[in-house]
Amino acid sequence: MERLARLTEDLRGRLPDAGTLREWLYGARTRLIGKEADKGLLFRLFLYLILIDTAFIYLKPILYMITTMIKDAPNMLDPSVVWVPRSIYTGHLQEAFEGLKYKTAFFYSLTLSLSVAVLQILSCAIAGYAFARLDFPFKTFWFGALVFTFILPPQVTILPSLIMFKSFGWANTYLPMIVPALFGHGLKGALFVIIFRQFFSTLPKELEEAARIDGANAFRFFFKVMLPLSRSAIVVVFLFSFVWNWNDFYLPSMYMSGSKEVPLSISLAKLAAGLQAEGDQGGVSIFAEPIKMAASFLIILPVLIVYGIAQRWFVEGVERTGLVE
Amino acid sequence: MIRRPLLPSHTIRRLEGTLFIAPWIIGFFAFVAFPLAFSLYMSFHRVKVTVGGIETIPNGWGYYREILFADGGLLYDSLIPFLREAALMIPIILVFSLLVAILLNQNFRGRTFFRVVFFLPVIFSSGQIILEFIKQGEGTLAFVESLRIDAYLMSYVPASWAQPIHNVLNSFVLVLWYSGVQILIFLAGRQTISSSVYEAARIDGADPWNTFWKITLPGLVPFVFLNLMFTVVDLFTFPGNPIISQVTTANYGLSSALAWIYFMIILVFVGLVLGLYGKVDRAFAGKR
Repeated sequence: MERLARLTEDLRGRLPDAGTLREWLYGARTRLIGKEADKGLLFRLFLYLILIDTAFIYLKPILYMITTMIKDAPNMLDPSVVWVPRSIYTGHLQEAFEGLKYKTAFFYSLTLSLSVAVLQILSCAIAGYAFARLDFPFKTFWFGALVFTFILPPQVTILPSLIMFKSFGWANTYLPMIVPALFGHGLKGALFVIIFRQFFSTLPKELEEAARIDGANAFRFFFKVMLPLSRSAIVVVFLFSFVWNWNDFYLPSMYMSGSKEVPLSISLAKLAAGLQAEGDQGGVSIFAEPIKMAASFLIILPVLIVYGIAQRWFVEGVERTGLVE
Repeated sequence: MIRRPLLPSHTIRRLEGTLFIAPWIIGFFAFVAFPLAFSLYMSFHRVKVTVGGIETIPNGWGYYREILFADGGLLYDSLIPFLREAALMIPIILVFSLLVAILLNQNFRGRTFFRVVFFLPVIFSSGQIILEFIKQGEGTLAFVESLRIDAYLMSYVPASWAQPIHNVLNSFVLVLWYSGVQILIFLAGRQTISSSVYEAARIDGADPWNTFWKITLPGLVPFVFLNLMFTVVDLFTFPGNPIISQVTTANYGLSSALAWIYFMIILVFVGLVLGLYGKVDRAFAGKR
């Protein structure tokens, strides 16, 4: 009996009382869940799990492209080779390079995308600024027209545009893609006007008032003050415009169907069609896949480089929507 | 001696504004309004494009009747499944991009790296490259096949819906690929909610769960709709989409009629979105 009493005393001494227990549990909970959602261990794990998974989904095609295009025949037939080939083979790259007529096509693509991007930055910024800050007759109506342009699928207007540009004698040239960009239209032009409008309407109004008191007119003020301020919006629009025009297949295929000078997106389709035809005739070659991958890689490589250079400002530009709190 | 300006100042302002917007308006007439009117005109005519020019023979509602009633294959066979797929894809894209944007907004190690990776889809998700991946079956998720989900689908879901759901699941990765711009819009939108509101919520002892539902989500409502609009427009104008690929130079009149019918369907969709937005916005207006 006595021993039992002593034992319970002992145990009681060793066990923490209810207060410390609660504190200890609470500490554990804080460590796991966190006082705020972004501090807890559980949440961290969950966050990284989702992010890494999704990042892998986004990166996988690029990895697949790169590993497939450097496999030669033994590596392709070896079932133990999935991701990492035993040797690097650059023959497919050379074939794709020739099949795409890379040198000339690259130059055409670059000319087209760069000129459209630069023109769209200028023209869409001017239009966006007018929508954001200036006053002109029927402004509400024209804003409705802008949204309407954004919704309109290019396929509704493509056939009449085709006839119109043909009558100008612009068939099989770049002009049908470049001239609309000069006027703030072109590929996704309405979206860029909207982006600039949003951006300019977040800048402080005092800038304009100060300029007006100083007697500067709208043009000088816009080119000297507003454009330099809108670097982040310019980077976002430039990247979108350049990349989308670079990848765009639809407009060049409609406007330049009879042309010998085609941009890369068209020559990729031609290459794929050629491989398909070969496959139909003589059975599918195991090299069709790596050649296609090599060609795709050659096409996205310049875009990746541009993105790599611009991404710092791009990520920043996306964040910068208004006055920094 | 002060020079008096010739015109009152607000007239000058309007002149300046008109000059700024003039190029865009000229472009609108030349590249939007005129082709639009012309394609409407063409859809009521038989069009022959010859070397000398264009011959048109009035055809009335003929093409429209043909597409809508006589020859169902052109529109319905590709449209109905596509609309069902779109109805499934749109919510997935919106929820996923919202989730990712909220996560990317946290402070954690390696944030910059993840941001760079997550903006990659913006760069690729156009045309050719994506189509290549669809052909390879890169779009599937392994667990869909390992769990035999399609077998369940076939037995529990009405047949007309089973195929679209199956297609969406099969190209689930591609659905994620379409979320690039949407993530950007949500990230930018999240920056517009001032940090002082979150500060106040934290001092009042709100837990993260409530903070999200009571502050973040209501604040993001306009951006949800901006994204909804963008996603609808993007899906419907994507070059690989089944109906758009049928607009060809083979028959100008028929193609124009098809494009116009399709455009009307898009307008109905967008109208629904805007109507919904008005209702939801009013509901949330009290909470803001």
